[in-house]
Amino acid sequence: MAESLSYTEKLKKWDRFEVEKFSKKAPVTTPYPFIDIEKPPEYRGIPHINPEKCIGCGACVNACPPDALILEWDKEHGVKRLTFNAARCIRCHRCVEVCPTGAMEPTTRFEIATDNKEDLVEVVEHKLAYCEECGEYLDFTERQIEYVRNILPKEIFEMYALEDRIGLTQEAKMRKTVEKLRETEGIPVSAFMLVKKGGEE
Amino acid sequence: MGRRLKSVWVYHVDAGSCNGCDIEVLDVLSPYYDLERLGIKVVPNPRHADALFITGPLTRQTRIMLKKAYEAMPPKPRIVVAIGTCASSGGIFYNSYALYNTSPQRGRDRLRSGGPEMIVPIDMYIPGCPPSPEEILYGVAQLLGIKEKKMKGEYWVALPPKETPKAENEVEFRIPDRPIPLRYWLTLREELRRVVGYYDREAVLEDFMALVEKAFESEDPREKLHDLVTGYFLKEKDSRIKVAMRFLENEFWKLYDEYHSLGEALKKKYPVTAGV
Repeated sequence: MAESLSYTEKLKKWDRFEVEKFSKKAPVTTPYPFIDIEKPPEYRGIPHINPEKCIGCGACVNACPPDALILEWDKEHGVKRLTFNAARCIRCHRCVEVCPTGAMEPTTRFEIATDNKEDLVEVVEHKLAYCEECGEYLDFTERQIEYVRNILPKEIFEMYALEDRIGLTQEAKMRKTVEKLRETEGIPVSAFMLVKKGGEE
Repeated sequence: MGRRLKSVWVYHVDAGSCNGCDIEVLDVLSPYYDLERLGIKVVPNPRHADALFITGPLTRQTRIMLKKAYEAMPPKPRIVVAIGTCASSGGIFYNSYALYNTSPQRGRDRLRSGGPEMIVPIDMYIPGCPPSPEEILYGVAQLLGIKEKKMKGEYWVALPPKETPKAENEVEFRIPDRPIPLRYWLTLREELRRVVGYYDREAVLEDFMALVEKAFESEDPREKLHDLVTGYFLKEKDSRIKVAMRFLENEFWKLYDEYHSLGEALKKKYPVTAGV
């Protein structure tokens, strides 16, 4: 059960070259550059973005102290780029702490020296959601909308008829609310509940 | 790849570093890591040096000194090794007023330019804050041709949900299946961070979710979960994890009750069929 639980268990899995190869007499000097070694399990190496889980919300960008993570909007092409550069990363793992999907994965990777900085760049490109009413791209991605759908219970979605307005820009949302308020003037029920796709219910 | 260089003499320059990287450089020269067995020798004068070890983000005060040291080196190999995150890109100080940074976007471009690369060409970047001695050894070994480069730039296209990948770098969207609703998972995970920290929380939560799944198969999940958690409690040796498990149990039922009572209240207040 407690596979990853205790820290001591994790430490036992750490492949230490001193134990395996030199069990009786450990050398004074490490044979490191001539053999391959592993870092201990709790070592903070550079983090890695898992593009399968990443939704492009930018929580990591807000948390990153030295701006190793930056979000760039490209509204003409409807994409949003999350760039991570290990050359700027100080391995504080704040991004790992705040990531709401677990997409930021901590690693123990330490062999990252290079002669070209391009090797240290990691980019994840996200597609922005498109508002059909205004013909504009939203600030958030389609994956973010899908994630919100998974977080909120279905009843609340139905009650507030969120399905209609979740893919709209702020302006379109406000316009829609005002229109509905005008239509339903005098009826003592929240206007948010009346914007329902199927008409009257 | 054979060894390109044999015995490199090195001059160490501190370009405004916080001394973290300097201590790691000292560490690398100690008997355990022993950089000198690779032929590296630290010399006290740049005129004797083949390579320059630079630490620090290049402050305005050190700019002229670094330039002078670089120019004093013999022109032939003139290798420059940037040690540490600061020397690779300006690091956490990248937009400080005290730094010499002439990059167009002030260090916010794609390559995060900054640091000594503003005035000298750099042959080897060793990022890390500070880099551990192994990391420095790896960088130097790569310079000498003992180790191969392992990093490679990545470009992923994250596809919107329900689209299948066509090219190699396109990735599908996937939310992992969990026995508890996503909103519970998010709240519990965030609360758990304060109890066991980010390092252990995923594993603890996974164990707890397995218990919850088992408990909800029986008729009385509340009793069953309490039994299961108690069983876990007795087996586990780490007291931190024990506390976290009890905490999770309480927190889970609190959330469960809250959401259910909220749902009932909402249904009473705003019956969906009302109004129009």
